[in-house]
Amino acid sequence: MNKFMEMLEKFLMPVADKLNNNRYLTALRDGFMVALPLIIFGSIFVVIANLPFLDRLIGEEAFGTYQGALSSASNATLTIMGLFVIIGIGYKLTQSYEGEAIYGGVAALAAFLILTPQVLEGVEGVIPTTSLGAQGMFVGIFTAFLAAELYQYFTRKGFTIKMPEGVPSAVARSFSALIPMTFTLTTFLVVRIIFDMTRFESVQDFIYTVVQAPLTALGAGLPATIVAVLLIQLFWFFGLHGQIIVNSVFDPIWYALANENLLAFQDGEALPHIVSKQFIDSFIVGMGGSGMTLAVIIGIFIIGKSRQMKELGKLGAPAGIFNVNEPIIFGLPIIMNPLVLIPWLLAPVVVAIFTYFTMAAGIVPAPTGVIVPWTTPMILNGALATNSWQGGVLQAINLFIVLIIWWPFLRIMDKQFYETERKH
Amino acid sequence: MLKIMLACSAGMSTSLLVSKMEKVAEEKGIEAEIWAVAQDKVIPELPKVDVLLIGPQMRFMKKKYEAKAEELNVPVDVIDPVAYGRVNGEAVLTKALELAGLN
Repeated sequence: MNKFMEMLEKFLMPVADKLNNNRYLTALRDGFMVALPLIIFGSIFVVIANLPFLDRLIGEEAFGTYQGALSSASNATLTIMGLFVIIGIGYKLTQSYEGEAIYGGVAALAAFLILTPQVLEGVEGVIPTTSLGAQGMFVGIFTAFLAAELYQYFTRKGFTIKMPEGVPSAVARSFSALIPMTFTLTTFLVVRIIFDMTRFESVQDFIYTVVQAPLTALGAGLPATIVAVLLIQLFWFFGLHGQIIVNSVFDPIWYALANENLLAFQDGEALPHIVSKQFIDSFIVGMGGSGMTLAVIIGIFIIGKSRQMKELGKLGAPAGIFNVNEPIIFGLPIIMNPLVLIPWLLAPVVVAIFTYFTMAAGIVPAPTGVIVPWTTPMILNGALATNSWQGGVLQAINLFIVLIIWWPFLRIMDKQFYETERKH
Repeated sequence: MLKIMLACSAGMSTSLLVSKMEKVAEEKGIEAEIWAVAQDKVIPELPKVDVLLIGPQMRFMKKKYEAKAEELNVPVDVIDPVAYGRVNGEAVLTKALELAGLN
């Protein structure tokens, strides 16, 4: 067992290192972080605009006016979230090369807009918001990478205008960005023109059909979700922040799925996906942190006879309510502890499957795509994510499932601690 | 004034430790400024720092920070998992003092 664990740790560390320290994945993750406050702002207003029962309380017409008045909050943020992610990625990638980050950000944005259709149903001079949100996400990510790289490349090659002495440095700087920017954006213009000549209507359509649609379909399925959940747990078992590592790969897919749900939710249509960012955040992670350790804390309070267990419960509970669980993970300990490997891996998978089928059966609505901050306590978190009380109840049931799975293992641990404490 | 920076993924769990360390520092009369940051703020804040400590769950970040920290002569280490789990402010503070060569 020890040899096997050592081997796994040896294998996982470099994977974690590669994934978390890869320049592009880091820029991707940090780029999403830039957009996050805006996404959450928009989400809050979607929740307020769709308060349950309000339509019956104030009448259909007044409700329509009320919703209309609030809609620009989400239209300006959530609906076009791709734009903010793109600026974020362009900015962060350029920053990682220690270049002028803001130029990298706007180069990415302009490049993306060049590739975006600028006509809608025959009307020119409009940009359809659908291409700026979930649908444009993958084009946006690739474009941002490429634009920032090209901008950086042309800057490094010294394709800049050298100003004579005596020119104020601020003026010189704005000119120094001119040529790399021109070269970068011209490249994208050429790409667009080439695509215009093919049978694909735009780069956006091309990437959406060839890359994004198949990838998101795969990510929306239960098998890929179980793999992701297992990987998160496995990394954590070795004391590595599994979520950060796995999210760096899965976030673009999960966010795109969430946004497609949100558009349907706002239009009052059926939600197309069950798995999305919030499926993972609220129903798998958002119950005390990775591994749903709030159930473990409750178990500790019920079972704990040993001093060690009691102390740990008191230490872990306040943070655990807000889904921060490092004290439990390192304190119980869960890491490298073969005794808890089974519940640690099993519980989230069982809950993922149970949640998936409960939602597929229509007993609990799927998450609407509203982004709830991951520090929101459970019950509230599930209710907000699904815009229904059933979401909160489902979390409570899930908590119970986790508790049952952990129960025998916690008892064994507590007994062991208790015996050792009595001997001393 | 010793400046100690802790880093983890979002600066959440390390901030638990910060408040414990501050308390211990105050009791012992050690002048220290201690704060927690998310991982993407580490490099920009490094010039202000005397000691950098990384949460054990983010230990794969160490290599990345080390290059920059060496340049600035800032010692870097990963926090002991047991001390981290027990939010043992005293042990981590002692470690920080050791790294800074003050103990």
